[in-house]
Amino acid sequence: MRLLALASRNLKETYRDPLALGFLLGFPLVFMLLFGAIFSGDETPNYAIGVIDEDNTPLSQAFVDEALAQVPVLEVSTYDDTATALRDLKFGDLKAYIVIPDGFGQQVNSNWQGDKADITLNITYDESDIMVSEQIVTIINATTRAFAQIEVPITINAEPIYIETEIDYMDFIGPGIIVFGILIIIPTAARTMVSDKEKGMLARLLTTPTRPIDFILGYSLGLVLLAAAQIIIIMLATWLLGLNMTGNPFLAFFVFLLTSLCCIGIGMVVASLTKTENQAEPLCWLFAMPLAALSGCWFSIELMPSYLRTFANAFPFAHTIEASRAILIRGVGLEAISYDFFFLVGWAVAIFALGVILFRRSMRS
Amino acid sequence: MTSQNVKRAKAGDDFAIQTFNLTRKFNSLVAVDGIDLNIKRGELFALLGPNGAGKTTTINMLCCLLKPSGGTAQVLGYDILKQPFKIKETIGVSPQETVISEHLNPQENLVLIGKIHGIDTRELKSRSQELLETMGLEARAKDQVRKFSGGMKRRLNIMMALIHNPKVLFLDEPTLGLDPQARRAIWEYIIRLKKEKTILLTTHYMDEADFLADRIGIMDEGKIVALGTSRELKTGLLDILEKHTIVIHAQNFTQKVISEMRTRYAEVEVTEDTMVISDKQLGFQEIVDLLHISGVTVSSAYTKEPTLDDVFLNITGKELRE
Repeated sequence: MRLLALASRNLKETYRDPLALGFLLGFPLVFMLLFGAIFSGDETPNYAIGVIDEDNTPLSQAFVDEALAQVPVLEVSTYDDTATALRDLKFGDLKAYIVIPDGFGQQVNSNWQGDKADITLNITYDESDIMVSEQIVTIINATTRAFAQIEVPITINAEPIYIETEIDYMDFIGPGIIVFGILIIIPTAARTMVSDKEKGMLARLLTTPTRPIDFILGYSLGLVLLAAAQIIIIMLATWLLGLNMTGNPFLAFFVFLLTSLCCIGIGMVVASLTKTENQAEPLCWLFAMPLAALSGCWFSIELMPSYLRTFANAFPFAHTIEASRAILIRGVGLEAISYDFFFLVGWAVAIFALGVILFRRSMRS
Repeated sequence: MTSQNVKRAKAGDDFAIQTFNLTRKFNSLVAVDGIDLNIKRGELFALLGPNGAGKTTTINMLCCLLKPSGGTAQVLGYDILKQPFKIKETIGVSPQETVISEHLNPQENLVLIGKIHGIDTRELKSRSQELLETMGLEARAKDQVRKFSGGMKRRLNIMMALIHNPKVLFLDEPTLGLDPQARRAIWEYIIRLKKEKTILLTTHYMDEADFLADRIGIMDEGKIVALGTSRELKTGLLDILEKHTIVIHAQNFTQKVISEMRTRYAEVEVTEDTMVISDKQLGFQEIVDLLHISGVTVSSAYTKEPTLDDVFLNITGKELRE
């Protein structure tokens, strides 16, 4: 009863605060609309890429003709040798060229049969245009994954290959934007808790029979409900803006919800270490913004130096983006994302435990 | 049970709050310096003192927010160190700062505290309705409290301490920063609560302590420097000072009359239409008659009582600033 009373109060305090609510929902939506507007117009980017098919199997041909050719932003030309492609790249006629190595078809086939095998593609690109080259790598990466891991009937040789997903920009950016929205839970959680500490509400409630655990669960429950609402709204918005949800949206929702638990835990840790909202808020942003970038919320992390990727992978968000892209774009199930999933579970448990210990301590002082 | 514990337990039957050498230090600062208080059940006890005297620290220890550095206290016989949750179930606390959930309406604020205390929904509804009516907030019961005036918020702050019908009420500076009208409204409500509950009130307004309290403990630098009813404290001062004062207002004090009075009494001060006479013993009727015979038209005359500020000044050498 105490827990529910506290959770209900925390929920009302946030959703009745137009500024807090606007921030929680509006900020990621603005980003999404911005990206959506940038990449949904008539003037979509058009990247010329070359393909050298050294595998030369029906699968590699299907990959070129059905998968790559269907990506709206790519203009694909085939080459017989790398020297010509390299010349065109140097002259600026191409932004990149892909060499499909011998064995590609076999690798894809193994994946389709359920045996996980690495897919090897060699991409050479014009790195003078960093953003474009990065996008091309990201697009090809996602397209290949979609092609290789998709569930198709065994009669593939008899039927033309059915490409279920057409990859467009919203598919890449969608999960990242959702994760960015979830990251905003960190300052929201910290602000809720620190504000109660700063304004004396925590002290007032501590003169009642409320136990510290009631507070922690009360805050968490309120924030989880808020996060759930936020995730649903942002997922719906990304879907409306063109995100193809091939996989199970409920599984993706659960992955996002786990991430929001991590964010609440981080918020709790920040709230324990700070005394005022003015201290907590910048600290949260200092943490959240670089992590959003490093985790790939706005652009791919494929090109980042490996030490930065290692750093980003120590936090939940890169895993969420990876897992949610796999679910939403490639349509995989829990089994395929089990590593990322259990990483998130472990992280949520650990950060919550740390948050509870620190927050209890800060309540006593 | 040791003899001291037996004594404490027996005393606990009569007293709602007892402190035993209660001390709190913050590093080298001694905020509360070994105070011993016995507050009777149903009594309204005021801790009066300037800011920083240790009043709030005392309350914070009694409502188990702060652990004492030394000594202990009992509230309704429960020890603050050993049974904090027993105490928290029986007390209501209105903190010095107005602490309410700004985006909730008054009813929701009251329900929050009520539910935390385990009151069932039906009872909570009727109690909150009753409190809102008593405090004059029923018309605004559904408005978010962030739109309320300071006085309304303050009233709600107190109501939140009362929703679960506590036996002991702690009111920390209940009228801090309010205008005279709002203060008066809160005083009237506190007076209604007298006898029903044991109330420990802190204030740095001497008129508040004077008007509301059954007994007053004057606090300075962490110590209780004087204790008693308002009358006892003031009378005690008169006895110490051995000085009574009468103030007379009249239009026509002549030099002759002033000289005459100065020969009779120890101190006579005259400013325009006011004469202030002080001495060890003063006869009110005798002075008025004397002035009348001398042709002075007395418009008013009264015996000046010492204020609690005078008491504080006499004990500490400092003024109790409001």
